[in-house]
Amino acid sequence: MRFSQVLSKITKEGIGELTKKQANLPESYVRRTLQSVEWRNPRGYPQYMPKQIVKKKTYYNVEKPWTAQFQQNNAPNVRHRKVFVEPVLNWSFFVGDRVEILTGPDKGKQGTICEVIEERNWVLVEGLNLKLKSMGKTKNYPGSVIGVEQPLLINHEVSLVDPADLQSTQIEWRYTEEGEKVRVSTRTGRIIPVPIGAEATHDYKTKGTYVENKEKDTTDKDLTEITFKPTLSTFEMDVMKAEGIVETRTPSKTYWY
Amino acid sequence: MIIKFSRILGVVRNQLSGIRPSVRGYAVETLAGSLPSAERKTSSGVSATTTKPTKDLGPAKGLLAFFDSKDNWEVNEVRVGRSWRKDELRIKSNSDLHKLWYVLLKERNMLLTMLDEFNANVESFPSPERIDKVHESMVNLEEVVRERNKAYYLLETGETGERPGQLALNLLGMQFFFKTAEHVVPPKHNNHWFKTRRLGCDRREVAQFRLYHNEKIWLEKLRARRKLTRHVMKLYQKFPNIDEEALQAEFPEVNLEKVKRFKGAQGHYLFKSG
Amino acid sequence: MSTRWYPIYQKGNPQLRIFLTNFWMKMARPDPNQPENIVKFITPTQMSDHDIKQYLEKIYQVPVADVRSKIMEGKFRRVPQKGYIIKDECYRQAYVTMPPNCKFKFPDVTSNKAKREDDDMKKYEKTMKESYEKFQKKNAGRPGVPGWFGL
Repeated sequence: MRFSQVLSKITKEGIGELTKKQANLPESYVRRTLQSVEWRNPRGYPQYMPKQIVKKKTYYNVEKPWTAQFQQNNAPNVRHRKVFVEPVLNWSFFVGDRVEILTGPDKGKQGTICEVIEERNWVLVEGLNLKLKSMGKTKNYPGSVIGVEQPLLINHEVSLVDPADLQSTQIEWRYTEEGEKVRVSTRTGRIIPVPIGAEATHDYKTKGTYVENKEKDTTDKDLTEITFKPTLSTFEMDVMKAEGIVETRTPSKTYWY
Repeated sequence: MIIKFSRILGVVRNQLSGIRPSVRGYAVETLAGSLPSAERKTSSGVSATTTKPTKDLGPAKGLLAFFDSKDNWEVNEVRVGRSWRKDELRIKSNSDLHKLWYVLLKERNMLLTMLDEFNANVESFPSPERIDKVHESMVNLEEVVRERNKAYYLLETGETGERPGQLALNLLGMQFFFKTAEHVVPPKHNNHWFKTRRLGCDRREVAQFRLYHNEKIWLEKLRARRKLTRHVMKLYQKFPNIDEEALQAEFPEVNLEKVKRFKGAQGHYLFKSG
Repeated sequence: MSTRWYPIYQKGNPQLRIFLTNFWMKMARPDPNQPENIVKFITPTQMSDHDIKQYLEKIYQVPVADVRSKIMEGKFRRVPQKGYIIKDECYRQAYVTMPPNCKFKFPDVTSNKAKREDDDMKKYEKTMKESYEKFQKKNAGRPGVPGWFGL
């Protein structure tokens, strides 16, 4: 499975690989929106120095980086205390995993991971470890109460559940005989497969179920069609030939220095 | 009823455009823009070529290509695929690439027009990442064209056909990549250029300046290294049971054995490990 | 030669052609009382009037009678709260006149907001409020009775 191959790392921008995968956004867009550039001189002009004013520290929370809430958290005038995050060699918690909670009011309960926040070593477990919030209270309406999942540290607040006996277990990354990297329960030796839910992105649940935008997307057939035929000509010569432009003059000599 | 608070707030990822309308993201001449793309294995959009026939505009109907199709005006998100990759462009003929370029160019113009219009009305622009996807595709396309031309010139002339350049010294004795320019006059007759060019460094004062400059760079590096060390020290203090292998992998240049013995690395409480 | 180097032209050279132009062009909102056959564009400063004409005719197949353009200087602004001065980028503003039989009306892109307001949270709140009101109405004549009583 592709996801088990990912040794997820926090990238240079600070954002986690898993978050990037889930966002399914182009690199440049992620970079552009993550580092809040206050001012940037236009590039490629001699009159401007290559200078920019950037807020370097990014604060990560349960909010995903492409949300408006995240942008508010990282506005130029907002400051946060420094957060220390314990480095993790191999990320082993994916969306859809069954985990047991080891602390808090829901200690001992098992649930499914619904969100992974790699930048803080956090996971959210669906319907567990809730905090109740009252919403929309007005004079005539007492407000409705909703439960909001609170994050749990992967280091010591949750542990994966062994599918063999449904007990929490420590895991280890090992290789199968086919060379595939898998999670193995240290207690029973049973392989814990990475769930399909880990593949889901903002745009699709699985790659196979993506619905093409009929207006904008290129179809698979058009994409894989091979139309290139090697000839001894440049791009310009080819296009001129296709357009029926005949050019017999030769450029005179110029010097590069 | 349990609702994922964060998820509900997170649905709208278009709101970024309203907050940070960075139209200045792409340089005008140096880098080209781009066009939307498909998902899965597919990529890129073909739609922009076919302008939407609405009403009878006469010969001016080509201008409708500056606007998105009407269905996309009122939605919060326009889901499109990914950008074209180089491998996918390499199997396309030159005339196909030429056509695709103008599809992408029109799509980019459309997106820029729409972005400006939405910003002017203080509305959030749906899926601003489309601009980046188009841009990425255009950059890849240009790279592929360049590759082909290079191969031709190398075979025919033994040179890449790219703009020549080399490492040179500027007036402050610092290295930079000097890109040569095209001239009609051969260099030995072009005295004016050689007199006015600002290359090379032969002044004594520069040596002192270079010394200070190097010191500045060195100090910056030192500061960065110390900052990293302090960070690792704090990590030791906060997480006494830290996985050292992971720590070393993340900070390969820090000497863990040394940092571990720092006073600041000693925790003053017992860590409750689960 | 790289696609982005514009070669020197000398007499007798082949005609210079651009195969992959990377100029962008944006249509801008019309000024008040702008005739219907005139369209306003914003382009990079490097583009000439001739470029603009060629661009529209060749890429967009729009007939162009006349182009008038000028470079507009970007505005100088003070950054709120911070106080330092920044300048917007300069751009070229072009008025393109089409033949009198061509007419183009700048569409109103953002007027219909009905579809855009599909905020899940607001919807949820609305339904909760509605059900509460329904409950209140039902229980108006019997205060203090628990909600499950009338089931």
